[in-house]
Amino acid sequence: MLEGLAQLGHAYIGFLNPLTLAYGLGGAFVGIVMGILPGLSATLAIALLTTLTIKLEANDAILVLICSYVGALYGGSRTAILLNIPGTAANAASCADGYALAQKGQAGRAIGIATSGAFVSTLFGVLCLATFTPVLAEVALSFGAFEFFWLALFGVTLSGSIVGQDPLKGWLMGMFGLFLAQVGQEGLYAHDRFTFGWDELAGGFALIPALVGAFGLAEVLTTLADPIERKIMDLKDSVLPRWREVAQYWRTVLRSGVIGVFTGLLPGVGEDAGAWMSYAAAKAVSKERDQFGKGSIDGLMAAETGDMSSIPGHIIPCLALGIPGSAPSAVLMAAMIIHGVQPGPMLMIQHPTFIYEVVAMTTLASFTILLFGLFGVRPLLHVLKVPRAILMPIVFVLCVIGAYATASRLFDVYTMLAIGIVAFFLRRRGYEMAPLVLGMVLGHLLDKSLRRGLVLSDGSLLPFFTRPICMVFAALTLFTILLYAPWFKSLVQKLTGALGRSFRSLLPRRN
Amino acid sequence: MPVHEVDSLQAEVEPAAEDPITPRGDLKDAACWIAFGVAVLVGSITMDRLEQQHINPYTVPGLLPGMLGIMMILLGGILALRSLRRGALRLAPSPSSTHDSERWRRIWVVTSLCLGYGIVLIGHGLPFWLASTLYVTASILIVQGMSRDPVVRQQTPRSWAKALIIGLISSVVTTLVFQEFFLVRLP
Repeated sequence: MLEGLAQLGHAYIGFLNPLTLAYGLGGAFVGIVMGILPGLSATLAIALLTTLTIKLEANDAILVLICSYVGALYGGSRTAILLNIPGTAANAASCADGYALAQKGQAGRAIGIATSGAFVSTLFGVLCLATFTPVLAEVALSFGAFEFFWLALFGVTLSGSIVGQDPLKGWLMGMFGLFLAQVGQEGLYAHDRFTFGWDELAGGFALIPALVGAFGLAEVLTTLADPIERKIMDLKDSVLPRWREVAQYWRTVLRSGVIGVFTGLLPGVGEDAGAWMSYAAAKAVSKERDQFGKGSIDGLMAAETGDMSSIPGHIIPCLALGIPGSAPSAVLMAAMIIHGVQPGPMLMIQHPTFIYEVVAMTTLASFTILLFGLFGVRPLLHVLKVPRAILMPIVFVLCVIGAYATASRLFDVYTMLAIGIVAFFLRRRGYEMAPLVLGMVLGHLLDKSLRRGLVLSDGSLLPFFTRPICMVFAALTLFTILLYAPWFKSLVQKLTGALGRSFRSLLPRRN
Repeated sequence: MPVHEVDSLQAEVEPAAEDPITPRGDLKDAACWIAFGVAVLVGSITMDRLEQQHINPYTVPGLLPGMLGIMMILLGGILALRSLRRGALRLAPSPSSTHDSERWRRIWVVTSLCLGYGIVLIGHGLPFWLASTLYVTASILIVQGMSRDPVVRQQTPRSWAKALIIGLISSVVTTLVFQEFFLVRLP
């Protein structure tokens, strides 16, 4: 305990030098700009910055990436408030009340609330990150091939179920991602799978080019394909952070913080789930629920705190289990591997101080967004005035660099183009990209765990279902799939409805 | 919080998609998924089982890909059944509007520009800054030429010069920042 605190203190002191702070601010700046631009996501910001920071020291590079991650989600709410388009998927829940406030001439107030809520909830998430990651890493040390098989499968299944409107399409994308991960030399015997004698494919599809395609090129195409260009709302009032509202709605901040961190722990669910669940929970108990969607401060606060606190939440399983909680954290994990840090149960043994350094980095990230919230909102919003015909071709040039630079292979550019175009058409047909990303990340783990498990059990499937942790994950996976069946879903709704009613009857009524 | 409540809230708040997803479209998707799943399954079954290396038969390389192929066939089948139940064959396809055809034209033009830059212009001897200048300038002019706003659509010597300057500056700055400052190799 004391040793952990000492390491945490050492990590904080280690980051207090001008160059590191400049890196943090730079990362947050790029993240906020990418977040402000509609459609350009945190995933793309981290993927492009991974390329840019490839020659930096590991800690500096990861700091830049974490700051850009936090910055992108923070920046995305500005677009949600001013344009009614979420800057990133996670900010969709902020659109309703944020834009309604902007229409009432209170855009600055809405931005101020978003800033203060984002700062407080990120710090709350950081506290959970520091507390739970070492504990989870300790538990994960007891995981074997059987447990990791279920964990990977559960992650893809859950991601497919929760992200987007159609679980069936989510699972199909998860399967497609898992398949893409199988292309190239497999891990046990170095046998080429689905390479068709093409040497370039032997290395498989690299994650960063694939993600740059799925989130970058697909977005360039989506934005430029739309014949209508939207105009932003005027910003007349002050955009300074609103601490009074944080104090007034402290219950919402705390509740949404807990929900955000909890959804962050679930593999592959994404930041938007944290925002939506917090929003729904706030609406269920709020005194001003009739104002939700019409400019409710409570609703905006819930959405903003829910998505921001889920960032540290997503980093927890990423570090402790090697299972990313969202698409941006998947890229973050890939960047850590590029810089020689392998996330997973062995992290605490191989790099015992790294978790505390990540805690310090995330804390620094929350202060950088506060700084930009205080001084940089108005100038940064000018980026929204750049016509898309100018902006998007430049973004695509960055996508090409991002895809190429990690391995200096033209093949990666072609991969980016192919996956980007396929992703664009799939998105138009209601297929989400997050399960695909998680499938690509977890494909190797699933393959190795399945085959190693079968060797250990001499072909028996029993240990996959009889070990205690396996039983839990198997039950959760089955439950997630069965929720798609109408009879099972209505049964669960009846049960949760009855439980909710009896729980509410125990609570004192709020006026 | 029950998932169905969150879903309904999401649907309430998010603007409707511009391309409604039709049962007929889902049926076509299902056929593609099933065909892809069959191809993956066949590829997995016919994959070398490395018997000459005397490996454990439970670790054959095609094991997981084969299972994934089966899952895609199953899920594709469920998607097909669902779309049929929703009237994929009964409902007439919705007529395409002018908006749709305009959007498709934009999609093909922008995709062609991106492919032209990514496949033809870069990596074949042309300096990166020059290839990028050509792409950015051409993209700005072509996309502005497709605008609904007649003022933006108008191509004048001034708009050409502006596009060229933006293309040149953005390409040179990007090249310098990545190549010289951050020491990143460019295609």
